[in-house]
Amino acid sequence: MVKVGFYQGCCFQGQDAHMFETMKKTFKAIDVELVLLEETTCCGGNTIDEENRKLSYAINARNIALAEAKGLDMLISCNTCYMVIAKAKRAMDKNKKLREEINNLLKEEGLEYRGTNRIYHLLDFFRDVVGYDRIRKAVKRPLKGWKVAAYYGCHVLYPRETAVDNSDNPSSLQEILKALGAKVIDEYENKDACCGYHSFYTDKNMTLKKLDKILGSVREAGADIIATPCPLCFKSFDIYQTNMENPPGVPSSFLPELMAYAFGISKEESGLSHHLIKVEKD
Amino acid sequence: METATLKVFRFDPDKDKVPYYQDYEVPVEGTLLNALLYIKDNLDPTLSFRAFCRSEVCGSCAMKVNGKTKLACKTPMKELVETWKGKPLRIDPLDHLKVIRDLVVDIDKPIEKMKTLIPWLVPDPRVVPTDPMHESIIYPEELEAYKDQIHCMLCFSCYSACEAVEDYERYRGPFAFSRAYRFQVDRRDIETAKEKRIRYAISGGLWSCVQCQKCLYVCPKGVKPAEDIQNLRGQAVRKGFTDKPGAKKLKHYVDWIYATGQINRLYLPEEVYGNREAREKLTKAYEEMGVEVWEVPKPTKGLMKFRDIYLEILSKEEKALDLDFSHVRKIDKMVSDIFKADICTIVDRVHEEGKGGKLIEKLKGLFGGDNG
Ligand code: SF4
Ligand code: SF4
Ligand code: FES
Repeated sequence: MVKVGFYQGCCFQGQDAHMFETMKKTFKAIDVELVLLEETTCCGGNTIDEENRKLSYAINARNIALAEAKGLDMLISCNTCYMVIAKAKRAMDKNKKLREEINNLLKEEGLEYRGTNRIYHLLDFFRDVVGYDRIRKAVKRPLKGWKVAAYYGCHVLYPRETAVDNSDNPSSLQEILKALGAKVIDEYENKDACCGYHSFYTDKNMTLKKLDKILGSVREAGADIIATPCPLCFKSFDIYQTNMENPPGVPSSFLPELMAYAFGISKEESGLSHHLIKVEKD
Repeated sequence: METATLKVFRFDPDKDKVPYYQDYEVPVEGTLLNALLYIKDNLDPTLSFRAFCRSEVCGSCAMKVNGKTKLACKTPMKELVETWKGKPLRIDPLDHLKVIRDLVVDIDKPIEKMKTLIPWLVPDPRVVPTDPMHESIIYPEELEAYKDQIHCMLCFSCYSACEAVEDYERYRGPFAFSRAYRFQVDRRDIETAKEKRIRYAISGGLWSCVQCQKCLYVCPKGVKPAEDIQNLRGQAVRKGFTDKPGAKKLKHYVDWIYATGQINRLYLPEEVYGNREAREKLTKAYEEMGVEVWEVPKPTKGLMKFRDIYLEILSKEEKALDLDFSHVRKIDKMVSDIFKADICTIVDRVHEEGKGGKLIEKLKGLFGGDNG
């Protein structure tokens, strides 16, 4: 049994607390125990960086230090949380002065950023720690006949320094979906376009244009559903889609939900049956 | 010798009605630029592309390989073949620019766009001596603030890859905002110019950047336009340009994260778009299902110490007053009302009693938060 610290961010609590329950079940099936890092805070969502970058570094140095204090590596599901925390980690590892300054503040809480532990996103965790094979073996209900469009989202691929896969031609998501028994659709026109989540509260029009493009080309490619490892991309597809003038009604899924379903967990418990855009496929 | 197939975009507006692709077999050796030169020297002298310096300085050789923006003289053929696992390499001109011929594009438009952001120094006479015989000194610490931005070589890789340019005609472009920012942090530049630049940046799409980070990824010179855009946004809010949704979003983040350690997605539509209905609708839907709704996030364990760190950093950066303390007090009151105790004593108690547990059980798969 592998043990890893789970960073919840805003996506796995409050109204989405059940998502963490799904995650726990999904990970149990592949022999991973998720230890919730309760004292962590919001990573700042790449928005605190607009206020002050050092504040973003400090918040996330603290988040990482909380995992380190438990002797755990940190697993992050949200692409944006992952990127923001990974940027902070890089800054802390590279800049000794910054590290000293921030550690000085963390001392008050009895914390210290040491840089001893790793941070993972879902994709590299599945690839490097769990292994595709173990995922394949946990499948009890292969997604036979599911045509699934693989959608990575931006912040796991860009910038280069924090990317978890080959940014130009990534493969981890396809491999995971294949292990679940799905038919992967990875050649559709706008697969690399931004999901628009982050502009919903800065330029809503931009979000709707992005959705129109991505969802349109997913439909054209003949996919039944989109799968993304990022809860924010998922929310953009499932929730913000309903803000479109003519929502195309393309269903989407957060990768661990599909995994849960393939591992034999009920559609209800996996979360798949509660989306705003109904997942009809069984 | 190992070879690869380049499928090269060809278009001569004087001759061709539509563009087409032509295949060339090239050695896998040196850079992509070497391969193109090989074509020109040995296979087809009619192929047009730009490349002046051949050493990552002039910025003229940017193009796309299988849709990804690359600087030809910096990109090893070997790396391309490895990345694309032997698949043919489709070579296209940059996006968002008019094609003049084959891989040569017209760069006038982004240059014109950049000029609208005053990408030059407007000297402050109190800092810059008007007498040309006097030196205007820049100290190394000052240079630190824009040492990356000055390396931009106008290759337009970022303009080609940009998600905001793609869907917003007026968007000035990543590099243009980086240029503007470079002068915003120059001590010699006069305050009135800085103010104007922000105004022009806002009308040029400052809040339309989606923060995809593609500009960081493609820039061959390590410029970080997305981060400069974040810095400009911060400046905009601090200079009082607070009416745009993005500015309100930023304020939401700054206040709520300080107050509770989390943002409040239930209140986001209201605080940004004045959409109160979104919250009320959702709260009602939950209540009808018999689910108890807290209108505040569960305050993070260790919150008070977290606040100290937060405020300490802001103070050091002379930004403590960016926190809206009356807003924070309002949030504190919401928290106290819900948990029936003072914020300072609540935080740890909530965690001991595990009030969240019951909630999780009831909240089976309900989506719909922050639907502004
Ligand atoms: S981060 Fe912003 S400026 Fe950079 S490429 Fe994306 S949308 Fe364009
Ligand atoms: S910022 Fe970088 S990618 Fe953009 S034009 Fe300048 S050098 Fe090229
Ligand atoms: S030829 Fe000058 S940058 Fe490539």
